[in-house]
Amino acid sequence: MKKILLILAVTLTSLPVLANDNHRVMDHHAQHEKNQGEMNHDEMNHGEMNHGEMNHGPEHSHGSHEHPTENAKEDVMTMSAPAITTTDDITAALANGGAPVVVDVLGVVCDFCAVAMNKIFGKREEVSALYVDLDKKTLSLVVNKGASLSDEDIENLAKKAGYRIAAIRRDAEALGG
Amino acid sequence: MTLSAMRAWVAALGVLLSVSAAARPVSYTGGWTLLQTANRASTAGLLHYSISHNVSVGVRHEWQRGDDVTLTALQPTLLAKRWYGHNYQANVYLTGGLGTATDRSVASLGSDTASFVGVMTDWETRTLFVSYEARFLEQGKLGNHSMHAARFGWAPYTGDTGELHTWLMLEVDHRKHFDNKTTVTPLLRFFKGPALFEAGYNVTDSAPMFNFTYRF
Repeated sequence: MKKILLILAVTLTSLPVLANDNHRVMDHHAQHEKNQGEMNHDEMNHGEMNHGEMNHGPEHSHGSHEHPTENAKEDVMTMSAPAITTTDDITAALANGGAPVVVDVLGVVCDFCAVAMNKIFGKREEVSALYVDLDKKTLSLVVNKGASLSDEDIENLAKKAGYRIAAIRRDAEALGG
Repeated sequence: MTLSAMRAWVAALGVLLSVSAAARPVSYTGGWTLLQTANRASTAGLLHYSISHNVSVGVRHEWQRGDDVTLTALQPTLLAKRWYGHNYQANVYLTGGLGTATDRSVASLGSDTASFVGVMTDWETRTLFVSYEARFLEQGKLGNHSMHAARFGWAPYTGDTGELHTWLMLEVDHRKHFDNKTTVTPLLRFFKGPALFEAGYNVTDSAPMFNFTYRF
């Protein structure tokens, strides 16, 4: 028993335990907002960002500095804000004039999490389609045309499902624009 | 570091970093969950309803096969703390129960009031899983039992929403009232949508393990 506990303890200490990464998404959003205004390149970590999908603002020029990962793999987004996940239901709901919303959710690690979010958000009349993406850690919603679902509503619903949200993006930003 | 200090450290680490074998004993607000467990000690069922995202109330029925004792109890569970991360979730649950235990053996000792308290903790990412749970059960003349179980799990791939999720796990349990007090159970966990199924085999006590959870 002692040996087993010792092995367990050693294994646990090798894990990236309980690292407080709650702010990673928010941090990037803050950085993203900054990019749309005046950019300070010295403060940015370009190696972790995909500039191809970022709005750098009108003043930004790519010619004056290096991007280590640019052109290496443009389709890999490691720090960018994920766009809405399209499913048949979501595509149809958007085609009907629904408004796209993407919610970054904290603590979503398994299908039970997805079930909880589906049950709670799926009951709302304002929601015409939704999908929980475990890979992106996002909840993609389409709000019915003419209906509204406030950020506070979304936050409260996420809480009822047992989760917390990190960010909410709507409309063009939700579509990745 | 002394041995006693190391024991305390390991115990504290276990409490902080673990997940319940019961797989999320509190669901979303308004959600029902059916849990069934069968291991070397008992066969049990728990049906619970989550009145909020951090409190569930359920009915538990358990057959302790070795003693041929059944336990029926009301079981509330509190999600005392949840840590939310971009890539992980960790929880501490406190549970308890009050009910009746009945000796079903030929030389029956009758029935008695039963109560239990327990703690369940977990830390989980898409590919790593650590858990610890403990329960202390008092059944009057039918005997008192304690149980500790810790798990380590690893997912060989990360399934996306609705896909089949597979975990390789190892459970170590300790039951003071058994001949083999500490045993090891390798198991497989399959997880898809609202359903979770586990199958394992206790290699120390030569006993199968089957667990099932369904959320609705």
